[in-house]
Amino acid sequence: MDITHSQHGSIRIIALKGRMDAVTAPLFDKAFAEAATPDASDFVIQLDGLEYISSAGLRSILMVAKQVKAKNGRLILTGLTDEVREVFHLSGFHTILRICDTKEAALAELA
Amino acid sequence: MIRVEHLSKRFGNLEVLKDINAEIAQGEVISIIGPSGTGKSTFLRCLNLLDQPSGGHIEIDGQDILAPKANVPALRRRMGMVFQSFNLFAHLTVLENLTIGPVRLLAKPPGEATNRGLELLRMVGLAEKAHSFPDELSGGQKQRVAIARCLSMEPEIILFDEPTSALDPTMVSEVLAVIRRLARQGMTMAIVTHEMEFARDVSTRVFYMDEGLIYEEGPPEQIFDHPRRQRTRDFIGKVRSLSYQVSSADYDLYSLVGKIEGFCEKHLIPPRSAHGAQLLAEEALGVLLSRPGPHDIRLTLAYSEKHRHLELRLDSLGPPGNPLETTDLPDDLPLTIIRNYAEDIGYERRGEFNCLRLRVR
Repeated sequence: MDITHSQHGSIRIIALKGRMDAVTAPLFDKAFAEAATPDASDFVIQLDGLEYISSAGLRSILMVAKQVKAKNGRLILTGLTDEVREVFHLSGFHTILRICDTKEAALAELA
Repeated sequence: MIRVEHLSKRFGNLEVLKDINAEIAQGEVISIIGPSGTGKSTFLRCLNLLDQPSGGHIEIDGQDILAPKANVPALRRRMGMVFQSFNLFAHLTVLENLTIGPVRLLAKPPGEATNRGLELLRMVGLAEKAHSFPDELSGGQKQRVAIARCLSMEPEIILFDEPTSALDPTMVSEVLAVIRRLARQGMTMAIVTHEMEFARDVSTRVFYMDEGLIYEEGPPEQIFDHPRRQRTRDFIGKVRSLSYQVSSADYDLYSLVGKIEGFCEKHLIPPRSAHGAQLLAEEALGVLLSRPGPHDIRLTLAYSEKHRHLELRLDSLGPPGNPLETTDLPDDLPLTIIRNYAEDIGYERRGEFNCLRLRVR
């Protein structure tokens, strides 16, 4: 899985590309830890390039969401592909996580 | 008529027949089917000792043909054999091919052998070819002559070793028609064949051979319509499969994913199902590997061309119980995914293994 970091003002943006499974989920955990500096509270995770997510990936995202919430921050996921959206829906994650279609919409919401 | 007990045949280190047990009664037509290399032809060749068995017993009407004092030529004479490659005598005419055996081996008068030979050629529709040589005939005609030659020796049972496999598809039906006629006349026959419709029509029983055994046997309706055992079902359902062994939580997920992707591409499985297969494999293995070890898991992805079903099978060593119902996982995400991506879930216990079947949506 390829992970790229960027920033929009104080908002941290992490873009994922490839697969998020039992092997690569720990890479996301690590990438988030790097992005979650003391001054960071709002995050956008772009999933446009993510073609596959398993329970390991869902678990990592949930952990990250809990950490963000504990710091009174906000987390928005964007660009879900059909395969990822389906897994989110059947696991109920779409009801507990904020999802936007695009990064721009997420940034506008967090502004 | 023929009783086989614990027949085995080894070629060097290769055990082709492990433990064959069978009976063939008079008047029966037995079709022998199965994947290539599973010993079908070897079994047939052991019955008339063209291949010498490594172990076991073969009795013909109560006489053990493997006993030191057995009159093997006399016993063999009671069995005719028709080969895939015809094996006619090229230097003799068609009629001479039919008379040489009765005259030299059965001491028939030449006139009687000739009359019988012509009668048999009429039966197989080739009387006009009596004075032709084999190389003037088509493959189908040669095979019909081979059958007639076999009949000229008055066998009590005929063994057919893939009688139509070497034939152009246009000639297969003419040979099968002759065999069907023999079946109607009550000839006892054992036929190794890949012609499934023919086997279903003509047989009294079918032997499905696999793993060096008669893996399953029964009437055609059972074998072709309601096979009882997995490998029979896979063969009849034209199932293609890939297998992967997992023995620890550190297994190579990407090697498995690569194999699944390649398999799905090869069999033109829709991307959605291919994705589902990968997800089910990862989640189901995760569930199985979360249990205490040691781990011995055989994963099989099976695609039935006949039914267009994709099925993931996981056979895992462990205490009895459906692994999907006896987990101790931190959350129910894996089970939620499995239940949603598998349109059917089956479980059975076989020996020391828990066997899961997940039909991929």
